[in-house]
Amino acid sequence: MTDSSVEIVEGCRLPVLRKNQENEDEWPLAEILSVKDTLGRKLYYVHYVDFNKRLDEWVTPDRLDIKKLQFPKKEAKTPTKNGLPGSRPSSPDRDVVREATLDSFYPTYVHCTNGTTRRILPSQPGRKRKNCGTDEDSQDSSDGIPSAPRMTGSLVSDRSHDDIVTRMKNIDCIELGRHRLKPWYFSPYPQELTSLPVLYLCEFCLKYLKSLKCLQRHLTKCNLRHPPGNEIYRKGTISFFEIDGRKNKTYSQNLCLLAKCFLDHKTLYYDTDPFLFYVMTEYDSKGFHIVGYFSKEKESTEDYNVACILTLPPYQRRGYGKLLIEFSYELSKVEGKTGTPEKPLSDLGLLSYRSYWSQTILEILMELKSDNGERPQITINEISEITSVKKEDVISTLQYLNLINYYKGQYILTLSEDIVEGHERAMQKRHLRIDPKCLHFTPKDWSKRGKW
Amino acid sequence: MSKLSFRARALDAAKPLPIYRNGDIPDLNDCVSINRAVPQMPTGMEKEEELEHHLQRAICAQQVFREKKESMVIPVPEAEGNINYYDRLYKGDFRQPKQLIHIQPFGLDSEQPDYDMDSEDETLLNRLNRKMELKPLQFEIMVDRLEKASANQLVTLQEAKLLLNEDDYLLKSVYDYWVRKRKNCRGPSLIPQVKQEKRDGSTNNDAYVAFRRRTEKMQTRKNRKNDEASYEKMLKLRREFSRTVTILEMIKKREKSKRELLHLTLEVVEKRYQLGDFSGDVLSEVSVPLAEKTVYPAPICLPNGNRHKTENKIKSHKSVPKHHPHNVTVKVEPHFDFVRPHKKYTRRPKLETLRPPSRPERPHTVNNADIKQYDFHSSGEEDYLLSPSSEPDEENDPDGAFVFRRRVGCSYLAPLSEQSSSSPVGLAGTNAMWQRNALTALSVPRRCVGVARRRLGRGGRLLLDRSSADLDRALRHLDPGAFCPFVAPSDAFPLNTDTHMDTCTNAHDPAPFRTHPQRSLAQLLTDIQACRWRYFQTRSLHQNQKEESGKKALQEDDRRGGGPIVTSSSRNAVLGGVQCSSSMTGCSLIVENKLVFRNTASLDTVSKTLDSASAQFAASAVVSTSNKESKSHSPAVNGILPNSGSRQTKFSSSGSSSARLSGASSKPLPAVPQSLPHGHGPLSSVSAVSPAHTHHNSARPCAPSPPALKLATIASSLDRVPKVTPASAIDSIGRDKHEPERLALNGIAETTVAMEVT
Repeated sequence: MTDSSVEIVEGCRLPVLRKNQENEDEWPLAEILSVKDTLGRKLYYVHYVDFNKRLDEWVTPDRLDIKKLQFPKKEAKTPTKNGLPGSRPSSPDRDVVREATLDSFYPTYVHCTNGTTRRILPSQPGRKRKNCGTDEDSQDSSDGIPSAPRMTGSLVSDRSHDDIVTRMKNIDCIELGRHRLKPWYFSPYPQELTSLPVLYLCEFCLKYLKSLKCLQRHLTKCNLRHPPGNEIYRKGTISFFEIDGRKNKTYSQNLCLLAKCFLDHKTLYYDTDPFLFYVMTEYDSKGFHIVGYFSKEKESTEDYNVACILTLPPYQRRGYGKLLIEFSYELSKVEGKTGTPEKPLSDLGLLSYRSYWSQTILEILMELKSDNGERPQITINEISEITSVKKEDVISTLQYLNLINYYKGQYILTLSEDIVEGHERAMQKRHLRIDPKCLHFTPKDWSKRGKW
Repeated sequence: MSKLSFRARALDAAKPLPIYRNGDIPDLNDCVSINRAVPQMPTGMEKEEELEHHLQRAICAQQVFREKKESMVIPVPEAEGNINYYDRLYKGDFRQPKQLIHIQPFGLDSEQPDYDMDSEDETLLNRLNRKMELKPLQFEIMVDRLEKASANQLVTLQEAKLLLNEDDYLLKSVYDYWVRKRKNCRGPSLIPQVKQEKRDGSTNNDAYVAFRRRTEKMQTRKNRKNDEASYEKMLKLRREFSRTVTILEMIKKREKSKRELLHLTLEVVEKRYQLGDFSGDVLSEVSVPLAEKTVYPAPICLPNGNRHKTENKIKSHKSVPKHHPHNVTVKVEPHFDFVRPHKKYTRRPKLETLRPPSRPERPHTVNNADIKQYDFHSSGEEDYLLSPSSEPDEENDPDGAFVFRRRVGCSYLAPLSEQSSSSPVGLAGTNAMWQRNALTALSVPRRCVGVARRRLGRGGRLLLDRSSADLDRALRHLDPGAFCPFVAPSDAFPLNTDTHMDTCTNAHDPAPFRTHPQRSLAQLLTDIQACRWRYFQTRSLHQNQKEESGKKALQEDDRRGGGPIVTSSSRNAVLGGVQCSSSMTGCSLIVENKLVFRNTASLDTVSKTLDSASAQFAASAVVSTSNKESKSHSPAVNGILPNSGSRQTKFSSSGSSSARLSGASSKPLPAVPQSLPHGHGPLSSVSAVSPAHTHHNSARPCAPSPPALKLATIASSLDRVPKVTPASAIDSIGRDKHEPERLALNGIAETTVAMEVT
């Protein structure tokens, strides 16, 4: 396939073979983000258009349908793309104004919306990039944007800082306890560890190690068998640990690094000081194994009760995500506040939250009994107060479920049959619930403790 | 559809929404159409992502089926299967505690090395283990330290040696290995770490830099605009405070020295009174050679105000050296108040009884001059140490207009050691006066010249200052032969060929004295003298050696209490001194005791002032003290004790004159050479007090002195009643001696504390 006549370069689009969930062959359109040459064989990093980034991967040339190759159209595309900087899933490379040979490693310039010219290296093999660290530095400083991200929150929606480095996964595989995880996104683990076939993490302190031997050695010294925080909830095998991002920086940072592998919008730009981390664990004879976590700003100006939330892939789709969400709202209930997750939500986040909100709200609506024969009624504010779900989320959920209708001059809630049935079925599957009685949590007033 | 004509009201979150179920849902058509009137809430996702294929598919599936179908879930990269070696990796079981886990803050890390050995290291370890034992942990600690010590540059082998403290071979092997490995390492460190931000902002866009510190602005409160400014102010304030502390520290030292000076002055007066030196002859004689000694950088300039007052108040005393200060002892006391602040009284009721009400305290002005100069300005709170020191004062007057003055910018070399033996500098004020006047005999025209003193002239000549005393004639009649035993050895020294001096350097040799009989008066005299010499010899010599810098002397004087500077060498010296004195009277013993006591005293003092220099001194003092203690006692047991004992008992009453050992020793021979005790008596305890100061010092004696003075008076009047001390707490000689010092010590402690607080 690597016909010398055609050079497949970054920015090219072409159908790439991939298996779908039914293990059938598909040829979705993909974009070449990077090319690398290992042992004389070329590998292409592809992003499937309209698929989530997490499915991006290195593919061999034989998976490329080179006949349908589309070269990046610089003239046509640049102006249109100019208005949408870093818009996704388009790659910045499409914005590149190419002047010389396409495989040149000369820095090229990308026009960003803010009018500044940002120089990026045209996609190179990742290894190559690593080696020219000084160049990288100067490149960064030359770009002259002193823009630092806002200091609140944990997520970025502004992708102007997105470059080819962060758009590509850099860790191949992570071994964590019993599990091997395939990272979905870039995570700023030490650069020298990114070339490893497997990155080893200590299951309990989440320290990153380059080899199994190192992990073995580490385990002789690490006596943690649970997250290094206070256990504030335990029911059955499920426990929650609270970790202060300021007091336990090492663990918090390790957790964030791990979480970044699975959270596209998470930013690790700033330190972990203003966050609390609630780590959900499952206990067995080896200890308290991390299942997922959510972080939370000690003080949120925007009613966020969750910053980042993640169920580790091995535990996904088993109800743990909902448990995490439920726990976050339990904390809000104790605090006497309503809360909402920090935006933007990921696709999985949206689904999980919608699902949780739906179930929670429907649960309330179904429970409502009509007293003295009148039709039961409830206000949105009441729902919000009961559930600690922010009003806007209640409304959006009611809308999404199509429950809210206008009838005879007033809004009504209609519980259709399939809604009720669907809800009952879903609730039957939902075994894992948070028991508020098992929560031992006293909210702290962080504003009185000085900033963070 | 027609219902669309009127607008649906905005959704009111506070308004109750009736709930319709299943069958009783009214008119769905209406509802659906109107639903649009409710503004669509954003999903909270990014627009592009929201359109992603799998999400849309999943959402649709959910909308349609009300539950997720297996095929409709959003695909994620699949994780691989189980890790079969997990159980081997994570060894041991962990039992869930019954109670919720609560971690102790800061109890997490047991300081384990961050470095983890890899298989490459293991190979090295195995190789090394053939020759020596090297545990993995030990290796890791080594590498860990090396790594953490090399920030930008690798540590050198030398540094590594300091760092690791391991066997040389082992260290070398590990070090070499580490250097090699480090050079091949692709990361910045063998311990992988997340890239840190650089402060210059060059890493602002580096994707691998994480966990940047939030800018400081965020850490201060928003509502305080001046935070940065106030922070700077705080810093400045802190700096200034610390400077103040330094200044106060210096003032403290100065005041201590002043106190000492006063004390010494008092002693001088006291002794002179004992001596009957009303004409000031003795004093002037004594003070002449001291002019050479330049201990202090600057001549002493008394602050005018203070001095004026003093002078005005006590005119009679001002002229003490020249005139007849008969009344000194009596009148002195009231003038103490000049320098004594109120504090004193409250602290030391004992002394208070002796003193009339105090005068108001002088304002405490601190300026540069104060620090540099020796003045009486803010004297006050300090107690008096018996240890005298302030020789510089003596320089003031003897030379009058020709006083040696230190010039700024000039560096003055320390006196040579040989010279110093004749002109003891510094701390050992007592020495100085010991040395000053002595019963002297010339070796060449073998005769006793009476009380005289040797000093080294500026050109290196030896001068002999004779003091005229009433007893001169009697002394002259003394058989010089009586001095023979020690004249001889002293003659052996070139320095002393012409005269036999109390300062003879060979006095180390105790032999002649040991054999001395002590029956006759002359012998007794000799003895005394010998003892005096002995004592002096050793002390002055070594002290002088130690005491190169006069400044230092001033500062440390109070601490040392005029005692020896205690270092290993001086310890030896002291030891020598003790041995010498072993053949002599108990006075030497007493001296030793005194030394010991002073050392301990100084120790106490020092321990309260926290500066490192003094702490060090204190430490050495402890050592030497114990040393000396044992030493000082042993000689007493072998043989000397009879002498000393008898003498002590004999003169205990008089000797109780506040530890003036010379006084004690001299008392036994009151009948014949009255002048003898006086000759050196005052000198023994009062050191560097210039005539100039004597007068005004006498005008304002200080705290411990009233009892001392009284004692001295009584002693000199040969009143042997044991009950001399007004402060009745003093019951034994030993105690007598220490008492004033202890008081002084207390005073220091208090003062010190006070100063520290400020």
